[in-house]
Parts: sequence; C-alpha cells; structure tokens
Amino acid sequence: MTTTIVLQQAINGVVLGSLYVLVALGLTLIYGVLVQINFAHADFVTLGAFAAYFFMHLVGGGYILSIAVAFAVGAALGWLINAAIFTPLRRKGNELLPLIATIGVSVMMQNLMLAWFGPIPYAFETQYSSEVIRFAGIFVSWQSVIIIIVSILTIALLYAFMKFTFLGKALRAVAQDRETAGLMGINPNYLIMLTFVIASALAGMGGAMLAPVLVLTPFAGTSVIVKAFAIVIIGGFGNVEGTILAGLIVGLIESYTTQFLDPGLIDIVVFALLLVMLAIKPTGLISERREENV
Amino acid sequence: MSDPALAQPLPGQRATLRSRWLAYALAIAVIVILPFVFTDTYWRTNLTVCAINVLLAIGLDFILGYAGQLNLGHSAFYGLGAYVSTLLIVKLGIPFWIAFVAGVAFAGIAGTFLSLFAVRLRGHYLAIASLGFAVIVHQILLNWISLTQGPLGIYGIAPPPAIIIGGVVIADFRNLAAFFYLVAGFAFLSYILLNQLVRSPIGETLTAIREDEVSAASLGINGAAWKVFAFGVGSAVAGAAGCFYASFVGTLVPDAFFVSEAFNILAMVIVGGMGTLIGPVFGAILLTVLPEVLRGFGDLRLVVYGAALTFVVLFMPGGLAQAARVVAEKLGLRRSA
Repeated sequence: MTTTIVLQQAINGVVLGSLYVLVALGLTLIYGVLVQINFAHADFVTLGAFAAYFFMHLVGGGYILSIAVAFAVGAALGWLINAAIFTPLRRKGNELLPLIATIGVSVMMQNLMLAWFGPIPYAFETQYSSEVIRFAGIFVSWQSVIIIIVSILTIALLYAFMKFTFLGKALRAVAQDRETAGLMGINPNYLIMLTFVIASALAGMGGAMLAPVLVLTPFAGTSVIVKAFAIVIIGGFGNVEGTILAGLIVGLIESYTTQFLDPGLIDIVVFALLLVMLAIKPTGLISERREENV
Repeated sequence: MSDPALAQPLPGQRATLRSRWLAYALAIAVIVILPFVFTDTYWRTNLTVCAINVLLAIGLDFILGYAGQLNLGHSAFYGLGAYVSTLLIVKLGIPFWIAFVAGVAFAGIAGTFLSLFAVRLRGHYLAIASLGFAVIVHQILLNWISLTQGPLGIYGIAPPPAIIIGGVVIADFRNLAAFFYLVAGFAFLSYILLNQLVRSPIGETLTAIREDEVSAASLGINGAAWKVFAFGVGSAVAGAAGCFYASFVGTLVPDAFFVSEAFNILAMVIVGGMGTLIGPVFGAILLTVLPEVLRGFGDLRLVVYGAALTFVVLFMPGGLAQAARVVAEKLGLRRSA
C-alpha cells in the first residue's frame, strides 16, 4: 500500500517536475546568454494557458494543437519583451534595471488579464484528464502521458539544437563571450532574440500543459515562477543539466509534501531548500563557471 | 583646524542647510494643513495610507537606492511588523507602544538576519533570495492558523490608546486626523533620520559600496557590515509601517503582505527616483492617490503600478526626482550639475 503511494507520487512528481523544467529552462537559457532575468516569464506561462483555453473553447481546437498555439503565443511574447525592454536597456548596462522593468511588465500583464478574464478560476479540462491507465494499482492519466512525452521530446530537441546545429553552437559561443562571438561573425543581437523566442515559447507551452493542474487565474504564473526561480538557483543558474535535475527534484518534493505533510507547506519546503542551497553552495548543484553574482 | 576657513561651513553649504530646514518647516506645515483640506472620511483615510506607504518607500529606498541591494521582499518585513505587534496586543495584552517597539525590532532583526545570510549574494541572487523570504513569510502567515487564524484574518484590532495628559485628551486615535498626524509625524521623523544618515559619512560609505565594493574594501570599508546595517534599518522602518497599518485598518489578512505588495513599494521607489529620499516620498504619494482617482476604471487601474514601473525604467530611470531636476534646469532655477 505504502509502496504504491510512494510510486504513485513519484509519477505525479515527475510529471509536475517536467513542466517546471520547461518553465525553468527558459529562465536559465536567458540567464546563460544575457545574465538577465525576465520576471514576466511567469505571465507568459499564464498567457500560454489562457491561449490554449480560448483556442479550445472559442475556436474549438483540440488539446494537442492548443499546446502548439500556446507555444506560438509564448514565442511572440518573447520576441516582444526582448525588443521592447531588454534591447533598449542593454545599452544602459545596469544589471538590475531590466529585472525591475520586467517586474513592471508582469504587474501590467497580470492586471490586464484580471480586467479581461476576471478573478474567477477557469476550469481547464481536456478529454485526456479522465482517461486513466491502471497499472499495478497505480493510476496514470493520458494527460500525464502527453505531458511526459511532449516534455521529453521538447527537451531532447532543444538539447540536439544546442549541441549539433550551427545556431546552437553560436548560441553557446555568445553565452561564453559575446564580444568574441561578435568578432567571429556571429550576430549576437539576432541570437539573443532567438533565445528569448525559444525560452518564452517553452513557457507558453508549459502553461498549456500546467493549466489543468493549476488554479487558472490571471495570477497563476506567480506560483510557478517562484518555484522556477528556486529550481534555477538550486540547479545552478545558466546550467541546463542542473535545471533539469533540480526541476524534477522540486516536482517530487511537491508531490511528496502534498501526500505526507500538507499542501500548504510546499512553497515553504521548496524555499527553505533554496535558502539552504544559497547558504551552502550558491553556485547550485552543477555550477557554471560564472561567479559574478556570488 | 588651524585654518578658520575650514571650520566654517562654505557659503553654499550654509545655504543648503538653511534651505533644508526651510523644507522641513514647509513639510510640517503641509502635514498640519492636509486634514483641514481633506475633511471627508474617504480622503482622510487615503492620507494615512499615503503616510504608511511613504514609510515603506523610504525604508526600501535606503536598502535599494543607497546600499544598492535589490530587495524584492519588503512586504515580508511590513507583514512581520504588523503581525508581531498585533499578536502581542491581542494574545498577550501587551500595551500598544511596547508591542510597536517589539514589532519594529522584530522586522529589523529579520532583515538583519536575511541580509547576514545573503551578504555573500549580489544582484539577481539577492533579489531571488529576498523574494523567496517574502513567499515563505506569506505562507507561514497563511498556514500557521493556530497563531494567525490564516486566511480568515484577525479582526477588531484597536487603534493606539488615546494620549491623555492630566485628564485632558491630547489625541484620540479613533479620530482619522489624529491618526494621520501620528503616522505622518513618524514618517517625517524617519525621513529626517534617514536623511541625516545618508548625508553623514555613513551615507557616503554606503554609496561607495554601492558603486564599487572592491575599491571600497581597499579603503578599509567593511562592505558586508554596512549592507547588513542598511538592510536592518530599512526593514525596521517597514516594520513600523506594518504596526501602524494593523491598528489603522483594524483587520489583518496574510494577503495584504503578498509579494505583489513588495512590487508596489518597489514601483513607488523607482517612480519617485531611487537613491534620493525625497523622490520615493512623492512616488509613494502619487502611486497611492492615482489608483484612487482612477477607481472608475475598475481593475484596470491597477495596471498603473506596472506601467509606471516599466515606463519610468525605460524612459526616465531617475524617476520624478530626475524629472524635477530637468524641469528646474530648463526654468533656470538651478544650475546644471
């Protein structure tokens, strides 16, 4: 009985964790290239979820396609925030101003969504939520299977893109040394734009898949982003492997805390872990050779 | 001090000193007059909310604008001040002013503790650590139901006891104007205190650390200690604001101290102009009054905070303080620096 519960919660934790990984990867990609934080990343998650919701309910599209729509919406938002906020502020060279500006964007987006969508949570149900596979006393919904498959595919594609394509190599070059990469004929501005588009597209699509789990209100992203911050720091800011590992750990912590302690304690446990990590090893589980913030 | 010229303040300095006292006198006059101008309950309530927000903004500005630490968890110290003082009064029956001191001290100690721990961290890491701290505090307030009554909140918190001297009621804080004088007076004193601090060698030390910690350290400045000091002072001021808030509103719910409150305070500091003390005062007043004036727009009015924050950072990073300087120079009231 207990083993079943432990296994069941392990599966739930991995499903949730892989979604957190998608969101946190975006943050870590941007940090890796630009050493900047886009605070509105959370609201891209929320808006991705709403885009998927309205695509299904107003247009009548299927759930799988709605994930693609959320991906596209996220990509567009990523392009926009880079053009409107990060590009103009890069010339000022202050490390904290873009973070502060995107907090403003986040507050703006949340309140615009509040004015349009209202404060009442939306019920986001898909036809896959209720279809369940039973296996040795463990329940797995098709929704979870879709989440796992899409997340693994996305992460694998991203990994292959970074490792094997020219653009991916150029991206890593810009992350290591923007000026030298520029001298090698790489256009850093184009690659930074590309990073924002990819990162935000991941957030949007993460939103479409998180929506059935979350209480979908205009402020839904906030609870996700605080965990995503915890994940990127626990994993090592700017480090992709560390982020994946930490994301799964946080997902598991969340499912086990819900089962054995109290759901109200999730954020406390996750952040206690974050603060302990900052105290002991601020560079994260897998540290990047980047020391300027510590 | 053999040279008499050195002992005397320079003419320019004397002039700024005189204009500073003139400004203080003007501020007192404005505080005294305001409740006579705004006589209805609604605006008198807003006056006190303004004063509370001014306290929050100057406290955060001391941490952010002078010590250069991006604190995204100011709401936590505000909430700790409010809850600690209120719980002492409600659960233990401790007199208001003793609970007030305890609330301020607790918030200050919490800030000191957080920054002691975060002193190795800079920039983004400190921002996230302080945000994490605010999330934890909010969650504790929400989940420690036996102590805080969680989301149900604490109701019927009494205002501070009336000041009675020799049987004569000097100030009854059930009166909105009296409460405003109390908070505004405290905010004014805090402002003077912080202003003296930032104009003293301590202020110069903090600025030196903010601009270049390594160079400051080479001059023998202990950067870590001063940053902890600034964080402690700033959070203690937020704690005071929390004590006043609880006894003014009479109700405490954890959601009043959600991280979004920290962002609102940040907006006040940025819009006013971080690194100046007078800027955030006006930033706080503007961002308290503006959403009230825009009440007809419903929830859309809250967009003001975000829009103000973003556009000020993009187009006028020095905020209202910078705008005022530009206007003064254009009008020829002040020589360009």
